[in-house]
Amino acid sequence: MAMNSGAELPGPGTGTGPATGPGSGGADGSADDERLACGRLLSEVWEAWEDGAGAPDRDPHLRACPHCSAAVRQLDLLGVAVREAGGGREPEWDTGALTERVMDVVRLELRPGRPLPLGEREEDLWVREAMAAKALRAAAETVPGVRAGSCLIRPAESGGSPSRGPVRVRLEVVVPLAPRLRDLAEEVRRRVHGAADDALGLPVDHVDVHITDVTEPAGTDPEHPAGTEEGNQP
Amino acid sequence: MPGDDGLLAVRAAEGDEEAFEVLVRRHAPGLLRLAASMLGSPSEAEDAVQDAFVSAWRRIPGFRGQSAFATWMHRIVVNRCLNMLRSRRPVTDLDSVPEPEAPDHAVSPARAAESHAAAVALGRSLSELSPEQRVCWVLRELEGQSYETIAETVGISPEAARGRVFRARRCLTEAMTAWR
Repeated sequence: MAMNSGAELPGPGTGTGPATGPGSGGADGSADDERLACGRLLSEVWEAWEDGAGAPDRDPHLRACPHCSAAVRQLDLLGVAVREAGGGREPEWDTGALTERVMDVVRLELRPGRPLPLGEREEDLWVREAMAAKALRAAAETVPGVRAGSCLIRPAESGGSPSRGPVRVRLEVVVPLAPRLRDLAEEVRRRVHGAADDALGLPVDHVDVHITDVTEPAGTDPEHPAGTEEGNQP
Repeated sequence: MPGDDGLLAVRAAEGDEEAFEVLVRRHAPGLLRLAASMLGSPSEAEDAVQDAFVSAWRRIPGFRGQSAFATWMHRIVVNRCLNMLRSRRPVTDLDSVPEPEAPDHAVSPARAAESHAAAVALGRSLSELSPEQRVCWVLRELEGQSYETIAETVGISPEAARGRVFRARRCLTEAMTAWR
């Protein structure tokens, strides 16, 4: 190639390029910058190429100069090799097996959260916060279009040790855009309260429902049908 | 529905392992591809991604959603790969470089052999880069990231990231030129 490989020169140090030239960049100086036979630095030529294919108009030398063109062609050839290498068959990832292996470890390291009292004051039944939160989120999501996020369950009476007494629930939800969000939130609160009372037997003092986001209701907007964002790739 | 990553991450942070499982399933394929291009070995890529997810589960209570879950996860995988590459050095046994499998789709055998040879040559020259050069080059060339993003991910200055990519390109173009 037309590379002037004998000329190992330090970085530009002149104020012509944007920011600092790669030649001055770091400690691993295995391959420093190189001055081409035309006087341009290889780093500058490649940078100009990278900054946009429209750039040649700004700097006619780059297109006219055989040394610069040769340097750019090397990058193009590298790009071809990368595409060829990537164009082969991808390994058949067994994502399912990987997920299982990850989840095996995760299940050994669960974070169940604090114990919460179930039933009457004189009983000795407890449920872990993470379990109760799962049940309450599921109850909230029985309202069509509602997605539940954070669900914190705390004793209504403040105190360090777990006390037997009603709890306070703070639930964040994403809801579909609806004319009466207040009614929707009320419906979520009602179902969460119901699930805590009936399904769990968790005495609840209060349920705070926080709407953190509003989404387009599914199936009403033909331009943005829900859940098909990935389906449009060619 | 990547839009609800944030919601699932919050749930996972509160101990909902089922929400975390959805995230693992959703993001594993892209992260495996990323790790494989950095490590050059599918089986090591699986190890890296598995470790990264386990580490993410442990750290997710501190994840406050300043960045997207995908970005956060991406960063964990990159750093895991960087550490694996660093611990791999200074082994430079070329025979240990795993060869990509030959594509078996309908191209002429000569053409397929050539692509295969190009892939092998590229894989070998990649394995000779420093870990930082390789990671920066993959993020720039294959992931199309900006130098600022690469710098942030790897924990170096944008100038240093630019320098590493430049040096990687020099090594690779020289190797590919010699190969052709």
